[in-house]
Amino acid sequence: MLDISTKKRGQVGGPVDLSDLEQWLTLRYPQSVRTAYLIVGNRPDAEDAVQEAYLRAWRFRDTLDDASSFSPWLYRILVNACNSKLRSEIPHRDRRHSADQLESVASSDDPTSRFALSRDVMNALSALPTHLRVVVVLRYYADLSEREIAAAIGRQPGTVKSRLHEARRRLAEHPAIRSHAAESTTSGEAVQ
Amino acid sequence: MIEEGLLTSALRDAADVFDVSEGAVERILEVARNAEDRAPSRAVQFARHPHRGRTLLAAVAVVAALGGIALPLMNKGTAPLHAFGGLPPLTGRATSSHGAPKFDASTSPNSTQSSASGNEGLAVTGTGFAPNAAAGTVGPRIESSGSITLRVKGTGVETSFARLSALAAKDGGSVSSSQARFANRSTGHFAYGTIVLRVPQGRFGALVTQVQRVGHATSLTTSSNDVTSQYVDLRARISAQEASRRQYLAIMSRAGSISAVLAVQRQLDTIQSQIEQLQGQLNVLDNQTTYGLLSVHVTTAASVPLVVRHRSGLAKAWHDAVAGFVAGFEWLVRLSGPLVFAVLLLGALLLAAWAVRRALRHRRT
Repeated sequence: MLDISTKKRGQVGGPVDLSDLEQWLTLRYPQSVRTAYLIVGNRPDAEDAVQEAYLRAWRFRDTLDDASSFSPWLYRILVNACNSKLRSEIPHRDRRHSADQLESVASSDDPTSRFALSRDVMNALSALPTHLRVVVVLRYYADLSEREIAAAIGRQPGTVKSRLHEARRRLAEHPAIRSHAAESTTSGEAVQ
Repeated sequence: MIEEGLLTSALRDAADVFDVSEGAVERILEVARNAEDRAPSRAVQFARHPHRGRTLLAAVAVVAALGGIALPLMNKGTAPLHAFGGLPPLTGRATSSHGAPKFDASTSPNSTQSSASGNEGLAVTGTGFAPNAAAGTVGPRIESSGSITLRVKGTGVETSFARLSALAAKDGGSVSSSQARFANRSTGHFAYGTIVLRVPQGRFGALVTQVQRVGHATSLTTSSNDVTSQYVDLRARISAQEASRRQYLAIMSRAGSISAVLAVQRQLDTIQSQIEQLQGQLNVLDNQTTYGLLSVHVTTAASVPLVVRHRSGLAKAWHDAVAGFVAGFEWLVRLSGPLVFAVLLLGALLLAAWAVRRALRHRRT
């Protein structure tokens, strides 16, 4: 749990206290960038969105009353920043930087196979509508519970559940996943 | 339905392995620190001093009303809207020396623009912009440009061009382009022309000052734009792409089949293309921030003929009457803007004061 006991603003005119922000960034920045990357589809925009989200969170830290809800609160701001990127900026240029879509796959028993699977999943993920992509990333990458996701996106847990179901169904039907499933069936891998 | 475990591992494979940009955390902290420093003080609390607040409001209303009426009239004929505040103010620091307006280009924090016109001597002093970024660290990257109109005597366009070229060369610059038009082809002299000088950023301000001595400066416009953030962003993107390229090369060395090699090769080609594209943008930005461009328009007095028409007494009187009528009408129109604004401002302030007073009375009761 993050310590947000010092989240209230300091005295006017005193030195700027950035300890809260520094603590958040130290603990959460890499995870946030990767989450944003999976949502927006490329690293520069992900880093922009995360920077914007953290600055916004820090600016409005007074609005957070319950320390236990910090994580969903921060994810909510991050998701909003990503949505803002997707809505306003990225549509004006190429959204998917294919070069960014996959990096290396370290310590794998079969690097090329995992590489191919990961690429296929990313392709399928990028084809999902944003509202479905967000819940998939928050559930299966950020490892939030359905209740936390609901708080992060401002919807009911039931909505999250149905969106996750719909997202998984669409992912499975995506041609990239289907072709991968067909290939792995012959080699014994499991893609249902 | 796709398996949850497989989905989780695929997403982690895709996202977990890359390193986030170095220095990103420090950059965010720096932005936050700057933003907080720029934030207005929250110490002002009108509610605790209602009487002082009302007095202040009334004083502001009176000053705004008087200023709204007086300033445009004081600056009649010389771009009154600037003084009135209807247009964005000049952001460069204007100083005065020996009665001549000066524009200190080196004080421009971000995007600044300055222009002046008239017959006075115009001077731009630039103590030099920050030098270009050294390798590794990026200093301020500022692009500067400007435009000057000079009037020279007689057939001085050719001479002026030669002097301007020499000035640019002396400052380590060169002539980027030039064009001129003959007054009369038979005479072989130019009536007017434009020459674009390209000098290192550090010498831009000095060049502007020197150029004005070549002729009679009738107008001057300079602007500078801080593109440091764009520059840093481009460099960060190139670094990220290069890191990706290294990782793909590592993957390729482990690839076990031709199809995998080809897949990685496709990604590598895309990355290489993007790196070259970004590098091109960086080169353009680098060039723009290394050199400043000054466009000098040179005209001769003869190229703007002054036509004097002699009128008879009656015609002149009629002409004067029409001119007087138009001038009076213009004055009325010019006055109406500030008056309407002053009335609106006063109304708004009175409304605000009334609302505050009502709230205070309501609180007391």
